[in-house]
Amino acid sequence: METLGFLMDGFAVALQPQNLMFGLFGAFLGTLIGALPGLGPANGVAILIPLAFTLGLPPETALIMLTAVYAGAMYGGRISSILLNIPGDEPAMMTCLDGYPMAQKGKAAEALAISAVASFMGSLIATVGLILLAPMLAKFALTFGPAEYFALFLLAFATLGGITGKNPMKTVVAAAIGLMIATVGIDSTGVQRFTFNVLELYEGIDFIIAIVGLFAISELLFFIEERAGSGKEKITVNKLKLSFKEIMHIMPTSFRGGVLGFIAGVLPGAGASLGSFISYTLEKRLLGRKGFFGQGDPRGVAAPESGNNGASSGALVPMLTLGVPGSGTTAVLLALLISLNITPGPLMFTQNADIVWGVIAALLIGNFLLLLLNIPMVGIFVKLLSVPPMFLLPIVTMVAFVGIYSISNTTFDLYFMVVFGVAGYIFRKLEIPLVPIILGLLLGPEMEKNLRHALDISDGDWTILWNSGLAIGLWIFAALGLILPYVVGPILRRRMRQQVGEASSTSD
Amino acid sequence: MTFNDRIFGVLMIVLAVAYGWGASQLPEPFGGSEAVGPETFPLLLAAVLGLSSLYMIVRPDPDNAWPWNRTGLELIIAIVVLVLYAMLLQPLGFIISTLLAVGTLCWRMGARPVNAFVTGGVAGVVVFLLFNFGLDLALPLGLLSFLEVS
Repeated sequence: METLGFLMDGFAVALQPQNLMFGLFGAFLGTLIGALPGLGPANGVAILIPLAFTLGLPPETALIMLTAVYAGAMYGGRISSILLNIPGDEPAMMTCLDGYPMAQKGKAAEALAISAVASFMGSLIATVGLILLAPMLAKFALTFGPAEYFALFLLAFATLGGITGKNPMKTVVAAAIGLMIATVGIDSTGVQRFTFNVLELYEGIDFIIAIVGLFAISELLFFIEERAGSGKEKITVNKLKLSFKEIMHIMPTSFRGGVLGFIAGVLPGAGASLGSFISYTLEKRLLGRKGFFGQGDPRGVAAPESGNNGASSGALVPMLTLGVPGSGTTAVLLALLISLNITPGPLMFTQNADIVWGVIAALLIGNFLLLLLNIPMVGIFVKLLSVPPMFLLPIVTMVAFVGIYSISNTTFDLYFMVVFGVAGYIFRKLEIPLVPIILGLLLGPEMEKNLRHALDISDGDWTILWNSGLAIGLWIFAALGLILPYVVGPILRRRMRQQVGEASSTSD
Repeated sequence: MTFNDRIFGVLMIVLAVAYGWGASQLPEPFGGSEAVGPETFPLLLAAVLGLSSLYMIVRPDPDNAWPWNRTGLELIIAIVVLVLYAMLLQPLGFIISTLLAVGTLCWRMGARPVNAFVTGGVAGVVVFLLFNFGLDLALPLGLLSFLEVS
């Protein structure tokens, strides 16, 4: 068992006191970020990247901390779903269906505890899946040539909008814009492209500045527009009374949810929202008559939570093995890898084995930490929910400024960040997704490198791009990724809305 | 109404054309031209952006409303505050500029002025102390540099 040995080494890395401490810190911070309204996981991780640099952390520590933030944010998202009926992020939407009715019945603490256990189960199953699947996929990916990689990148863009995505053409527009921004700077042959002789542009545009601007600053502007200035009403959480039997009661559900979520997370284009949706509907169909779904069934809380956490760990598989992220947050984690000078992809498993396995081990440890953190400390997180955004968001903005400023100590970067923020606001108004822009920025250089490489090999013959069976398969999937949302998307979206609509009409 | 997507689509086509033209003007790399040069990938992108923008013009989505009222003014104020924050960070120093920027933002988002600026001041001082003493990273002191203890 080669894998087991690597995993043990990984534990040795992750259990070093410093790494463990930062992992715990990250898990705490992540839960907080997930719980706070208006700070999605991608956003939270993005703001923390520059800070991880300024702390001067070694790569594995930085990565462990931010992986813990990622896992924590997925945990945190459920708190506001259950207590306020406001999903912290999109995948947490399904948790509202049974979580909020439970809270209304005075069983908020139980709902929170159940969701924590289910999240834990989901992540655990998916992390085990990750350990088994990732090395295999990495080995397979070693057979990819430049043409296959180019097709793979196209596939990543095509499926990024997801099957539930609204307008795939807008994903294409966004990806093209991101890739264009990535071409600014001096290219591999030493030619200056689109630099307009501005010295600061010679090295290209730092994607971290773009990410923080697009996410954090545009979020501030959106909040100002929605005038959601005041805090939420205060919620009291009852004392926890949860028996072992009740926990066992949700175990089968959590297990199924975790497996389904993992599969949804690994597949390109599915993502965490679909993971939680599938596992909820399946559970409802399976136990439909025996349960009271939509009216506060504990299993209705467990299913989407384990599904969504399973998906978020599953999404790490394509990111780590192929260097192709399947979601916004994993795209941001990819940004971290690239800026730590680690080339993600199959080679990472051989060249940076300690880092990869350290992260995977950290994910396992982080799940235990999160479970321990979440059950006794839920009161603190609930209190933080009542911090009004009108104080919170300006402070988050300040943290973004400090982080970006500390990268190079110039104000030029800050102006750039504000420009990206305003652009992000406009894009979001036009419903142009931001994640493909970021993915374009991240993958642009690699994509161009592979295209040039492939065409150099074939001496300019473009047919090399679809000359192997593997490449053709990737092209077909990419095409499906763009076409399917037109066919299946409206149906799936309607179903999701129906579920939510039914539940809110029965609970009122 | 479907103006947003159409206008944006036209702007993007303009961008695609300008970008593509810019790419075709790129100098040949040192050592003579090869099958693929620095302009190949950008030209491809220009074509993709042009075509997808054309689709946005032909089949636009319904508009989201723009805030043309007071909220729009608040947004502009916020953007101006952010630009000024970036501009004044070095001359005024981190603490004072943070006090002003965070304070103004909190105030404009609906907090009472006193609370807002106290929050800004406290946040500025705490983060400054944390960075300069905890993490050994110098944020600018600016006007307060007379306080510096070396």
